[in-house]
Amino acid sequence: MRRSGIWIGGAILTLVVLAGVFAPWIAPHDPYAQDLTRRLAVPFWMEGALPEHLLGTDQLGRDYLSRLIFGARVSLIIGAMVVVVSGAIGITLGVLGGFFGGRVDDVVLFLITCRLSIPVVLVALAVVGLLGSSTTLVVAVLGLLLWDRFAVVARATTMQVRNLDYVAAAWAAGSSTPRILISEVLPNIMTHLAVVGTLEMALAILLEAALSFLGLGVPPPLPSWGLMIAEGRDFMFFSAWVIWIPGIALFTLVLAINLLGDGLRDLFGAAPS
Amino acid sequence: MSTPAIEIRDLEKRFIVKQGLFGTPRHVRAVDGVTLSIPTGATLGIVGESGCGKSTLARLILGLLPASAGSVLVEGQDLSRLDRRARARLIQPVFQDPFSSLNPRRSIGDIVAMPLVAQGVAGRETRSRVAEMLEQVGISPDMASRYPAQLSGGQRQRIAIARALVLRPRILLCDEPTSALDVSVQSQILNLLADLRRSLNLTTIFISHNLAVVEHIADTVAVMYLGRIVEEAQAQALFATPRHPYTRALLASVLTPEPGLGVPDVGLGDVLPDPSNIPPGCRFHPRCPVAIARCSLQTPPRVDGAECHLLSA
Amino acid sequence: MSLLEIEGLEVTFGQGEGRVAAVRGASFSLARGETHCIVGESGCGKSVTSLAIMGLLARGATRQAKRMEFDGRDISRLTEREMSRLRGHRIAMIFQEPMTSLNPAYTIGSQMAEVRTRHLGGTKQAALDRAAELLGRVGITAPGMRLGQFPHQLSGGLRQRVMIAMALMNDPELLIADEPTTALDVTIQAQILRLLAQLQAELGLGLLLITHDLGVVARVAHRVSVMYAGEVVENAATADLFAAPRHPYTRGLLECLPIPGKVAPGAPLGSIPGMVPKLTPGFTGCGFRSRCSLARAECAAPVALRGAPHLYRCVVDA
Repeated sequence: MRRSGIWIGGAILTLVVLAGVFAPWIAPHDPYAQDLTRRLAVPFWMEGALPEHLLGTDQLGRDYLSRLIFGARVSLIIGAMVVVVSGAIGITLGVLGGFFGGRVDDVVLFLITCRLSIPVVLVALAVVGLLGSSTTLVVAVLGLLLWDRFAVVARATTMQVRNLDYVAAAWAAGSSTPRILISEVLPNIMTHLAVVGTLEMALAILLEAALSFLGLGVPPPLPSWGLMIAEGRDFMFFSAWVIWIPGIALFTLVLAINLLGDGLRDLFGAAPS
Repeated sequence: MSTPAIEIRDLEKRFIVKQGLFGTPRHVRAVDGVTLSIPTGATLGIVGESGCGKSTLARLILGLLPASAGSVLVEGQDLSRLDRRARARLIQPVFQDPFSSLNPRRSIGDIVAMPLVAQGVAGRETRSRVAEMLEQVGISPDMASRYPAQLSGGQRQRIAIARALVLRPRILLCDEPTSALDVSVQSQILNLLADLRRSLNLTTIFISHNLAVVEHIADTVAVMYLGRIVEEAQAQALFATPRHPYTRALLASVLTPEPGLGVPDVGLGDVLPDPSNIPPGCRFHPRCPVAIARCSLQTPPRVDGAECHLLSA
Repeated sequence: MSLLEIEGLEVTFGQGEGRVAAVRGASFSLARGETHCIVGESGCGKSVTSLAIMGLLARGATRQAKRMEFDGRDISRLTEREMSRLRGHRIAMIFQEPMTSLNPAYTIGSQMAEVRTRHLGGTKQAALDRAAELLGRVGITAPGMRLGQFPHQLSGGLRQRVMIAMALMNDPELLIADEPTTALDVTIQAQILRLLAQLQAELGLGLLLITHDLGVVARVAHRVSVMYAGEVVENAATADLFAAPRHPYTRGLLECLPIPGKVAPGAPLGSIPGMVPKLTPGFTGCGFRSRCSLARAECAAPVALRGAPHLYRCVVDA
């Protein structure tokens, strides 16, 4: 059962990544091309579907399947970038605090506490609302807000590794502190951090969708899944599929990433919260 | 004899322990006034039970912990005045648990090369020295690309020894190097250490709780109890005629594989040593079967290497 | 009649091709008032043997035995319920790490009393009185105070004494101790073993002691089973085994030990080259043959125990 989680999650994620990477080649249409004569065409399982628009079109006549495929790009890029930014901040702080302890650790713990007392969604909304929406800003804001779990896990695991004899041996062999951190400590906490990475990525993708839904995420006409849901809002009573399709895509991707993360956690026997 | 290879002078480590939220902080002397010296090529055994401070002493000597007082001199150089790389060329450790002493994410070759890399030795020379060192500890250099998880406990301990000796240090400090190993593997590691000691003219500090092993490998033996060396003597003399009551109890409790002798009565009573609450006077007096009134009042003087009031009388 | 009779005990882990044998035919018997030691190195199957007897194997393990009798009663076919009634009552056990066998959330007294009331009923007060008496018996001073303490308040040596007292709560007939002193200091080890030996003699217990330490074996055992690669390779009275070991593995093991007075300081110790074989489904014959200097072709076929009463499992005459 555990293993199947990894396989299912991994397979779905791989599919989505491939779709995102090869979007220009596999998308049947230009995701930005409007055709006002073919607005809100229905998807293939409904009567009157157009054969060239498998998942129908949106309110501006853009091919929905193409927008969905390009939207995977947006979700994945934002998810990955946020993990990179928040991981860099959180891991650095956590490893330093866990390894050096004492004053350094006090400062790190204080920063973590401060970060935990900031309401993420509220601050993200306020900042994006003030400065205007852009992909870079979304990544920056989420990256600066989502590093706490990385820091907590990196700190705890570093504290365990620090006391192992191979670190003492490297110390006694005259290795410099940065070298000890990079080649003795980091590789041994990486598996735990990979699990956190998947969880944070799923969270970042959801938050991006939420921000885009509120009109404060990536700016139109970029095809973000959250934005697609927002744009379909006005038509949901008559054409429910404009919300269903990106909604299911989002749900599936986040579920896949979480399955993968949980599977990895069980596999490594790690237990980060 | 010329200057000793290593000289430990009045080494002391105090920890501050606070009990409870409002407890007054107390100083705990984990290592208290340890003075030892070892001539070049000799082996000093340090024996003692858990909590006696022998592992703290090992960490102090290696510089992994800063000492509260005292100094460690290797060939006349004060280790605390040297930088870490210079110190690494003089003294290297082998630890107890071969499973936590090797980084599981690095290959055998990388692990043994690590001290050379830290010293800035270049690539090709590193490789040949690693291969040579592996050969010396009885591991085929072909195994350099394997990872610790693929090795047995004995092979891992050989790798740990190779890592410690690849810089050709003067002093090898072994902290319980065979305690985690099976008997048949222990004998191989002890034989290997004896061979290397002879061929490299190594000076060795061998910390162990196993008295039979220490008797086998050491030239001189120091017995540690609650942070102090309570007796120090030539190995033969110490095992033949132990003078301190604690040494006698320790020797009496060794179960040699000789049937028919039964389990000896150690006669130490129920009071267990507590490093955070060291008794006044002689530290051993609450457990000592021959303690007299004076023992709980005065610190015993050291007479011919043993600290006991009864010897000075 | 013997108290415990084990014949042809086999334990395997896993399924199909990934199957690994842990015990491949352990046979020994234990009389009332006798101490029997199972000695061997890590992975030889000695702990699995004791768990198999107690019916405490992990899931995924299969157990088979020609005969497994406790006090003349077949225990191989008991249900889990019947077995658990036997455990802690007539058969008691002590493990290596007392901290993991004691529940940190309950006092010593309530844990000890529970053992008694669960199996024998009676009032809690009677059980507590019994606990205090036993704590005194195992050499714990101020037993009344100890009953109210929690496990973490005791030192390792004291916890092991509590474990022994707890094992004796229901007057067991058989005591199984798996490495009971391995985690302890030598002086404490001597005290605990002395206590165990005394209690065993006084109460007429059958004591099955699992250990890796030949010194412990020599000093406390009446009879010894040496295990290697899942098999009992030698089974003899203690004095006979140490005086004239018959199996090449036992001989090799004894030569590895630095014995003060017998091996000169600094002289090379004996060693056993090679490694323990992997006991995959197809493995038969002597597990020691790959490391043995006397090995011959017939060692690859199953080797029987012979030479009663000093049994050994080797084709070469000792």
